[in-house]
Amino acid sequence: MNPLNKIIFLSAFLASGFLLILLSCALFNNYKPLWVIFIFLVAPLPNILANTIESTRDDFLTFSNDHGSNPSQLQELCKYITGTLIVSGVSLPIVFYHCHLIEVGSMLMSIIGGLIVYVDIIIFIWFFSEEEEENDDFNF
Amino acid sequence: MDSRNNLFRFNLAQLKFPKSQKLRSFGVYLAGILFAVGFWSMIDASVYSKTVNASTIHITFVDWIPFICSTIGMMIVNSIEKSNLLNDPNSSSFLSTGSGNAWAARVILFLGFSLLAGGLAGSFMVFILKFLMKKVGFPTLGMGVSNIVCNSCVMFSCIILWLSQNIEDEYSYSLAL
Repeated sequence: MNPLNKIIFLSAFLASGFLLILLSCALFNNYKPLWVIFIFLVAPLPNILANTIESTRDDFLTFSNDHGSNPSQLQELCKYITGTLIVSGVSLPIVFYHCHLIEVGSMLMSIIGGLIVYVDIIIFIWFFSEEEEENDDFNF
Repeated sequence: MDSRNNLFRFNLAQLKFPKSQKLRSFGVYLAGILFAVGFWSMIDASVYSKTVNASTIHITFVDWIPFICSTIGMMIVNSIEKSNLLNDPNSSSFLSTGSGNAWAARVILFLGFSLLAGGLAGSFMVFILKFLMKKVGFPTLGMGVSNIVCNSCVMFSCIILWLSQNIEDEYSYSLAL
């Protein structure tokens, strides 16, 4: 699969995720689930930032080139934050539904749409990072 | 059988944690997920108290105090450098003026674990005093249950984070100067 097909496929996938979240707001005329988009867009950021910082860090003094097998404290903190953000994105519509602020269809659509957006970003990073370095562990 | 200088028959040092980097990162993710579950169950209780609550019992700041204690305890426990705890096994007497600050690390760690346990006990106390003693039914009782769920999740998150930070990769070595 060449990169152009990947980009087209992933963008269509991403658009369907956004469409689901927007429909969950617009069909019920209740724009509270729109926060889910924000949470799931922020969720991949900590890992990206940590990996960028760790890969650009000068490792001359400590000859630790094993970034993949020996994560630093910053990377673990970012993994922790990633876990909290994913659960926050899923549990925000559940809390809204439990408190009768949104309908059940709105809850399901916003959860599925948010997960689609998140998975899409992860697959995007994974597709284009495995071409540069042949590592098989995917950071999500 | 060779003579062992253990106190008990079962030697817990033989029980080794599985050493894998995947498992370690999975544990860190799981700890974050558990913490978020606890946090959102508390948020759920307070939003529920504000919106569809039909009773006169509401979530106030008192209900949040156990969660705050647990969170501070978790931060203390997991931000301690663990090599400080074990650096002088010989001079194990408390407040030994010898090398290292192991006793300070132990005191702070004890403080953190007491905050965690105090948070869990405080959630049970809020549940009993505020909800069970007034003999309320279940939709209102759920706010107290979510308080317990919240603090238990924070405690399990702390335990899993502690365990997964102790997983060392067997084949990783760093040549630090």
